[in-house]
Amino acid sequence: MLTRILWIARITFLEALRQRFLAFLLVLAAGFTLGSLPLRSIDFGHGELKFLADLGFGALLLFGSVLAVVLPAQLLYAEIDNRTALTLLAKPVGRGEFLLGKFLGTWAVLGVFTGVLTLLVGLILVGREPMVAARALSLQLTPPEVDLWGLCQHALLQWLRLGIVAALALLVGALAQTFLYTVVVGSMAVLAGQLVWIAQDALARPDGSPLGRAGLWVTTRLFPNLQGYNIGEPLVLDPSSVPEGTVLSLVVAAIAYLAVILLLACAAFRRREI
Amino acid sequence: MTDLPAISVTDLTKDFRVGIRGVKLRAVDNVTFSIPRGQVFGLLGPNGCGKSTTLKIVLGLVPATSGSFTLLGSAAATPEARARTGFLPEAPYFHRFLTGRELVRYCARLSGVPAERVESATDDALALADMTEAGARRVGTYSKGMLQRIGLAQAVVHDPELVVLDEPTAGVDPVGSAAIGRMIGAMRARGKTIVLCSHLLGQVEQVCDRVAIMDRGRLVLEGRIDDVLARRDAHQISVEGLTPAARAAAEEALARHGARVTSVEHPRQTLEDLFRRLVTGSRD
Repeated sequence: MLTRILWIARITFLEALRQRFLAFLLVLAAGFTLGSLPLRSIDFGHGELKFLADLGFGALLLFGSVLAVVLPAQLLYAEIDNRTALTLLAKPVGRGEFLLGKFLGTWAVLGVFTGVLTLLVGLILVGREPMVAARALSLQLTPPEVDLWGLCQHALLQWLRLGIVAALALLVGALAQTFLYTVVVGSMAVLAGQLVWIAQDALARPDGSPLGRAGLWVTTRLFPNLQGYNIGEPLVLDPSSVPEGTVLSLVVAAIAYLAVILLLACAAFRRREI
Repeated sequence: MTDLPAISVTDLTKDFRVGIRGVKLRAVDNVTFSIPRGQVFGLLGPNGCGKSTTLKIVLGLVPATSGSFTLLGSAAATPEARARTGFLPEAPYFHRFLTGRELVRYCARLSGVPAERVESATDDALALADMTEAGARRVGTYSKGMLQRIGLAQAVVHDPELVVLDEPTAGVDPVGSAAIGRMIGAMRARGKTIVLCSHLLGQVEQVCDRVAIMDRGRLVLEGRIDDVLARRDAHQISVEGLTPAARAAAEEALARHGARVTSVEHPRQTLEDLFRRLVTGSRD
């Protein structure tokens, strides 16, 4: 079973690397990240490194999310529309194996995307760090430091977050009939995940009607809190501000979300007519 | 176990819901037939008659609305049964960036061929499909005929007992079609059961042992090819050197026995035979 999943993942990965959309988003995100360098003088009152990190991580968040929604949907529907899925699923390949292979191939591409952008942001931050530190010392301020371990942790969290988004897109794709529907509904699910912290905050307050609170409770259980994974700036520039165990708990939560979402996606795909 | 039919379909029905209102469209209507092992079975019918849907149901790609079927003795298209089945879908499309050899190797791994046997199985399948030389080229550069042949190679790479071919000659020129016909013959010689959907009736007539004809989702005829094509109420006698006098004497003799000559024609060769005789070599 594992062999078949890994073969499907391998072919999916090779196919995804050839997608022009991936190259387009990678160039766009890299351009956005590099564009922060000439704009660093207008840092809106924040420190320069914080400004550079925010723009770089923002590019990873935005373009990575778009890629994580579109790419799995595109790859899944290409297999179905081109009838390659017919050829594969007529073999002793389970539907769940097929979908997991597609997910792993897509996730590997998202790992490449995350790695490239993280490397770029890391190079920019490390490159600017000595100048910013010298300026801070001349002003008798504490010089900022770039924590490379924190950068690696952030890359891992973003990769997991993009994995959750890709799994959500596959879940919608397994249920939907069209690529466009999958992308639209998948994007809305991601948006809901980004905003679910608002519901969590509201639920933490004691006021509100029982019905409203029940709705908030369902919302917080239904959608993963994707905003919780955006802790790149404190992880990289102020690691001491991140409570101990935060990264580990986010990793565990991501693995749990991935397992549940992928199980649901496989169950939905089993019923689909190819 | 081997006495069981390769495929047995009983009262199979499939309805699709189409449009926003979910109007019911019956694609397969109460179809029953059985395909014995070791035979070439032709499933015929016009476009949209339900042939491909029937095959997809049997292969587990589409659920049936009602009825039952067995595939190689299994009551469903289990992974074990599918591991002993090869399938070439209609108008196959494969990953264009893979070479033919990589594609067949990929399908071999998915079909459960052990790692140490993948290369030899790939070589055999490419040889059967006459794609050994073209195996090094990317699939994106293949002609339609080559796509069909590489599709055939991926379908048989794991040496299945049953091979299902859905329109293997669609879009292929007569020379390529004849080559595919020879491959089907080679598989039959190896004892495979073959299910063939095709619009090339001449080829079906040549290679199939049994045929079934579907129309509007229903099975309208099923049986041995010799039985369904033979006209029991008429006979044909071929004669050389027939003079007008001999013909008149023969007609008179037949009339004395209560028989009547309804037509006298020169035997014709088929257009396919003529074409294949005049045009040699593959354009692939």
